Amino acid sequence: MNPMSPAPRQSFFQAWGRVFSVFFAFGRRSRRFKIYVALSQMPVVIAVFAQVNQAFQGQGFNSALLFFSKGIMSFDLQFLVLLLVLFYGTSICLEEVEGRTLMYLTTRPVPKAAVILGKYAAYILFLVIMINVGIILSFLVLNLRTVGNLSVYPVLFQYVGVLTLAILAYTAFFTLLGTLSKRALVLGLMFSFGWEAVVQYFPGATQRFTIAHYLKSLLPSQTTTGGLSFLTYRLEPTAPLLSVAVLLLLTVVFLTAACLVFSYKDFILSTD
Amino acid sequence: MSAVIETHKLSKWYGNVLGLSDVSLQVNPGITGLLGPNGAGKSTFMKLVTGQLKPSIGRVLIDGQKVRNNNGLFGRVGFCPEYDAFYEGVTGWQFLTAMLRLYGFDTAETNARAEAALDLVELRADKDRPVRAYSRGMRQRLKIAQAVAHDPEIIILDEPLNGLDPLGKRKIIRLIRDYRSEGRTIIVSSHVLPEIEAMTREIILIHQGKILATGDIHSVRDLIDTHPHVVSVTCDRPRDLAARFLGEDYVLSVNFGSAPQTVVVETSNRDRFFGRLPGLLVETGIAVEEITSPDDNLQAVFDYLVGK
Amino acid sequence: MIRDRGYFHWDGAFIDRRWPWWPITRQGLRLAFKMKLFKFIFVGSLVPAFVFLAGVYISERLEDFKAMVHGRGTLISVDPAFFKTYYSIDFLLLMLVMLMLFSGAGLIADDAKHNALQLYFSRPIRKKDYFLGKAGVLWFFLLILTLVPGLLFILFKIIFSGSFALLRSFPWLPLSVLAESLILTVFFSLYTLLLSSLSSNRRYVSIMIFGVYIFSDILFGIFYGLVRSPYAALISIKANLQQVAAFLFRLKPAFAVSWVYSLLILGAICVLSVFVLNRRIKGVTVIR
Repeated sequence: MNPMSPAPRQSFFQAWGRVFSVFFAFGRRSRRFKIYVALSQMPVVIAVFAQVNQAFQGQGFNSALLFFSKGIMSFDLQFLVLLLVLFYGTSICLEEVEGRTLMYLTTRPVPKAAVILGKYAAYILFLVIMINVGIILSFLVLNLRTVGNLSVYPVLFQYVGVLTLAILAYTAFFTLLGTLSKRALVLGLMFSFGWEAVVQYFPGATQRFTIAHYLKSLLPSQTTTGGLSFLTYRLEPTAPLLSVAVLLLLTVVFLTAACLVFSYKDFILSTD
Repeated sequence: MSAVIETHKLSKWYGNVLGLSDVSLQVNPGITGLLGPNGAGKSTFMKLVTGQLKPSIGRVLIDGQKVRNNNGLFGRVGFCPEYDAFYEGVTGWQFLTAMLRLYGFDTAETNARAEAALDLVELRADKDRPVRAYSRGMRQRLKIAQAVAHDPEIIILDEPLNGLDPLGKRKIIRLIRDYRSEGRTIIVSSHVLPEIEAMTREIILIHQGKILATGDIHSVRDLIDTHPHVVSVTCDRPRDLAARFLGEDYVLSVNFGSAPQTVVVETSNRDRFFGRLPGLLVETGIAVEEITSPDDNLQAVFDYLVGK
Repeated sequence: MIRDRGYFHWDGAFIDRRWPWWPITRQGLRLAFKMKLFKFIFVGSLVPAFVFLAGVYISERLEDFKAMVHGRGTLISVDPAFFKTYYSIDFLLLMLVMLMLFSGAGLIADDAKHNALQLYFSRPIRKKDYFLGKAGVLWFFLLILTLVPGLLFILFKIIFSGSFALLRSFPWLPLSVLAESLILTVFFSLYTLLLSSLSSNRRYVSIMIFGVYIFSDILFGIFYGLVRSPYAALISIKANLQQVAAFLFRLKPAFAVSWVYSLLILGAICVLSVFVLNRRIKGVTVIR
């Protein structure tokens, strides 16, 4: 091969950007991505069903906002986001270890922290787009009669914000989990549907040891009635600004820890 | 010539299992063959040299710099892993260009380098096929392509000839020899001794995590004083030749080989034997057809050192 | 003859052996028990059985516990409702799903990932032996948590009470225990094998095993909230299992929808599983 110019020196940001673009492209091509996109649009299906059901009953959707807030948002926040984020978050490190492709990244002039952060950014982008598109479309479907009423949109943006923060924080946590343990998926399930599902209902300061607490503190209304009031049952909300700060801080802490673990841990890849 | 790669008391444990023990050596520009059976520690050594593993004891230096977490070095290092592993759902072209992009090359240079690397390994015609549809040999060639596409000065190849057909092996061996002519540093590992013999005489022999010998294969062979050399001579009067050698003190035994007209001499001093042989042939007028050293090869060296 | 493939379907005779699927099951069990976390989950899933077994004991030793319950007439009654409660509690069903996730996610997915199917079928193993071997791993754990506790409850009730009163009152009870155990075992094993055959990525399969189960229940909650119809329960795997359990123990189901529909839905999933498994495994060239 005729010698060409040597590999240029890259700044951390440039290396991060390269990793991001490579894994954004890889992720888009995977078959699982298409399945997750379909799954993330379940809220739209539910919203369409709700509208059709109302139409058969011959009346308008009087409680569209309530159904969206307490039905679709709880489905997203307590199930869909957790499941999708669990897969993508743990995949950041584990797919390289299980697929034995880790050495392609660690033998390139890319800082290990840039690998974690670049993949994190790529998968966050997928998740934010997938989940928020589903939420926005379901909102529009449920509020077909009041689409022109601009006063309902601030609530939608608030929900989009909460979901985005949920994606950021949970993905960061599962990224850390993926660097720490090969059993990250099971531990993640126990965390999501065990710890988060139970401890958030504990009284006093205990509930503050869950990510869900801070997310619910940001939801538009804490007073609820009806069959879905469990969503904010026993919630002793933290102030919104503090909740946002805590969520962002947790994201930074988890990501920093993940970068450190990834940089210094020996990953023993399985042999044939 | 200063060493490109240096290791000092390099050791690695996997829990209680010893992967590598007390390896101190220097690798100079050119091809160095890393030889040993499966499980000897070759891959462990290569992972330590490429910074994938942290040494339990000791250090690894490339051009005087520590390797671990020194990602700046890897612009000059290319690594071909032993594992057959690729990202899902990508074509050969997508995989190679993605790996090149991580070096920081712009799109035009990435494409040019990818084309050149695929040409080298003869995969250009299949570049748009998914990697999962590649044969074993094609996948191996793609791995080699990603190791050399960025034009590295130091190339580390872990079992690069695995899965290749004989023609493919010859082409890759030729490629590796071309890199040596360009002054690059190449470490090639294999458990197939003839493959290494075809590429280089500089070897590192490794067994059960320990280095058995390093250096030129013939020099290593000569240093093995405890094991006599065997020389086979095919001539027109083997019995006369045998009789003449029986009296020499450096000849340990003389036998007749399985091939016709062949004398097999076991000597404790190869130099004295070959110093005496021409004179003997002139004195006796014996016509020699062939002289070989059946044990002057890597297999014999390895067997002696491992104690088989 | 020049052959151009590495592995070939077994061309020799299939000698009649007693349990040709047993080596596959044994290996699967060994691999499952190698995982520390699995052992923890397995022990945890036995908790309901021990709690209910303690309940059987308490039901016969009320005098000892009257001081604790301040003279209540009956604390625990071991009757069909007792058994139905055990087989329907959320914790047990969730633990069954977790066990399937651990022991079953990789059963077929790992074979697909490592191209190991041809290793099986180039030996004297039929497709049904392969499926039975894989299913056997799951049946082991499922039966330990379903059939064994059910029979132990009956046995210990008889022993602690010193009479066959339970069986005299409910002679069909052992059959119900057997039927319920078989339904849970067959359903969960086919459900797990179906999902394991859909991907070669074990982590993805694990997510699906858990996700589909929970998702069906959440969807039920949402649709029930919208339409207020008991037929929404047919969406939920858990609700369907509970409906069938109620029928088998001759109790009133939680939802006003016939248990037949629930059984049909569970059966349809099983049939789908068999169909898909047959097609997925056939895709490997060396399989006939």
